[in-house]
Amino acid sequence: MTDGGDGVSGDGPDRLSEDRGERTAPQSPTPRVDSTGSESQGTQRPADHSTPDSSTDRLSNSNAAPESPLAEPTRGRLAREQARATGLERGPISEYTTERRSLDSAVQIQWASRAVILAAVLGAILTGALAGLDAPVQFGLVGIGVLVALSVVWVVMSYRIWCYQIRDDSLYLERGVVTHVRTIVPYVRIQHVDTSRSALERALGLSTLVVYTAGSRGADVSVPGLKPDEARDLQQRLKELAIEADGDDAL
Amino acid sequence: MNLDYRSVPYRILENATRIVGFLIIGAFSGGSRSVTSLAGLLLVGMVLVGIWEAAEVQAYEYRIDADTFDIYSGVVSRREREIPFDRIQNVDIAQNVVQRALGIAEVRLETAGGGGDSEARLQYVSRQEANRLQELISKRKQGDVSERDPGARNDILFELDRRELGILGVTSANVRLLGLLGGLFVIASPVAADQISPRLSILLLLGPAFAVAGLILLWIASGVQAVLRYYGFRLYRHDEELRYKRGLLQQYDGTIPLSKIQTLMIRENLLARSVGYGSLAIETAGYAPGQSDSVESAVPIAKRERVLELARTIEDIGDPEFERAPKRARTRYVARYTIIVGLLTAIAGGVHLFTDAVPLWFLTAGLWILVPPAAHLKWKNIGYTADENYIITQSGFWTRRTTIVPYYRVQTVSTAQSVFQRRRDLGTLVVDTATSGGFWGGDAVALDIDIEEAEELREQTHDRFQRSLEQRRLRLLRGERERVEPRRATSETEPDRRASPAE
Repeated sequence: MTDGGDGVSGDGPDRLSEDRGERTAPQSPTPRVDSTGSESQGTQRPADHSTPDSSTDRLSNSNAAPESPLAEPTRGRLAREQARATGLERGPISEYTTERRSLDSAVQIQWASRAVILAAVLGAILTGALAGLDAPVQFGLVGIGVLVALSVVWVVMSYRIWCYQIRDDSLYLERGVVTHVRTIVPYVRIQHVDTSRSALERALGLSTLVVYTAGSRGADVSVPGLKPDEARDLQQRLKELAIEADGDDAL
Repeated sequence: MNLDYRSVPYRILENATRIVGFLIIGAFSGGSRSVTSLAGLLLVGMVLVGIWEAAEVQAYEYRIDADTFDIYSGVVSRREREIPFDRIQNVDIAQNVVQRALGIAEVRLETAGGGGDSEARLQYVSRQEANRLQELISKRKQGDVSERDPGARNDILFELDRRELGILGVTSANVRLLGLLGGLFVIASPVAADQISPRLSILLLLGPAFAVAGLILLWIASGVQAVLRYYGFRLYRHDEELRYKRGLLQQYDGTIPLSKIQTLMIRENLLARSVGYGSLAIETAGYAPGQSDSVESAVPIAKRERVLELARTIEDIGDPEFERAPKRARTRYVARYTIIVGLLTAIAGGVHLFTDAVPLWFLTAGLWILVPPAAHLKWKNIGYTADENYIITQSGFWTRRTTIVPYYRVQTVSTAQSVFQRRRDLGTLVVDTATSGGFWGGDAVALDIDIEEAEELREQTHDRFQRSLEQRRLRLLRGERERVEPRRATSETEPDRRASPAE
């Protein structure tokens, strides 16, 4: 399932109009969920995007140039190289970068329900095996309890650990409870970006961003637990940043 | 252009097994059928298949356009496919014995991300046409339309002699598999025999004998396979490509464009390493030609020095000196293997508890004497080194893999730290590349290095990657301006490559 645009469910009419506003003025990124994961004021915010309000918007940069920083392709590559070398591009690019952000807290419900189902299935198998061996079935029930408790701990820890950041030249991800993984995905290497929503995610109002590279672990890079509009915004940003990075694909 | 007409009889032959199988089912289900009716059925089947194959061959058409290789195929549902020349990774020609007798060959075109199957398979064209296509595509890929004297720049980089072929045969066995099989036979078969029937406990004596026989058979089989596969191996440079020929029964003739090379991997299995030999694999993003599940081996076997030298003609790696993992990594392996031995002992004990079959279960704990040397060997073969242009990692005791990644080929960079590593402040650096190489992949993995070092390396690798990218872009820009002037000998797409011995 890819970015459905305006057709994705769960959006109120005001969101739709704001969304269109975003599309016509993609140059200015919209403020998003803050780093503590609480809801942003995005829905109440006026649909005026041309002047980012730096008092409420800690993520976007207030020194936004009037013209799009990404109207680059009109300039020559060499000029851009020089600009990059001298650091002149820092300003505009930083408009797209973010702080470290954590996921939406609702993702815990998503993970927990998955983990509990898994624990229940495993526990049922264990109980069945114990019953088959004429062993006390209570052990199986205890097993289910332990598995559920463990998975709840895992879910909370996983949520606390997860974070992502849009940097100048790369997407940065941190995740994993048992094995903690920190990944850098350079924009140049992004092949395409998907947003997807499973049935459970739709019910919880969540969305997943999937970033593809040509690497052998390419499809590994996905960011779950995003609000749909946030996922779409990220998708848009990454798309533009990937175009901006302008790499020949080196394959 | 069309396929060669001689591919029709070959394709019918390919389907003959299927027809025969069909007939056998028919014969069984039909009950009492006379031989003549069976022969009749066979004839009808052959004719039907023949018509189908002839129609397919007739419908298959390929064309060479300005920028693309176009294929029109399909009898019932037509398919048109255009493959841009500069996207083609490898062009391979395969010919087995029957095909050689008929004078036909299969041509496969590989592009990146093709998944399991080739982007295009021409089944089959004449041998001359196959060579012509290979030549033509490699020229178009370089954006060079002018006709150049073919074969004038062939420069042999490596030729496998008989001695090396022999060593390849002896050392190609999968040591780990052999060890596992041996262990299973020696340990498992007497125990199993004892379980099934006491009378079979004679196998207690025969078990090791079986094991030895099995090992020798497996060794010979894999040796013969390797010899057949790499017989007459030759690697040479042809303009901006590496080409190789190999095979006794099934002959392969493949291309590896220098500009498409992603990583290099030097593999030395235990047997080969003990006599100072190794192999060099050149990995591209296309899938491995001729070996569906393993990477293309550019040099199947050569002295370690020679392998390094060949690697240096492709990537200027100098003489890498590896930094070894910290000593606490070795402690970690001792702990890990101790846990494994503990688990095995517990399992044996558990089995004894329930079945009374393993009275000496606690002897399993004696396996622990293997733990310190195992941990040391694992630790000793781990290492990495990073300079301005390359990151090189090494790991593996049974098969030591040395992966050479130019920063320019980096896709993503990660550090990973498991709970066990966290206790000892260790971490693993994973540099992902776009290679397609099988299960082990072409990823450079620096195992169990200091976590702070790993994090630093991650950022450093990323920075160096960005820098290499910018350098390459600037050079490309300059190169574009230079293109008006007479074409220079160095590759335009890979300015980092050292001038090759061919020039």
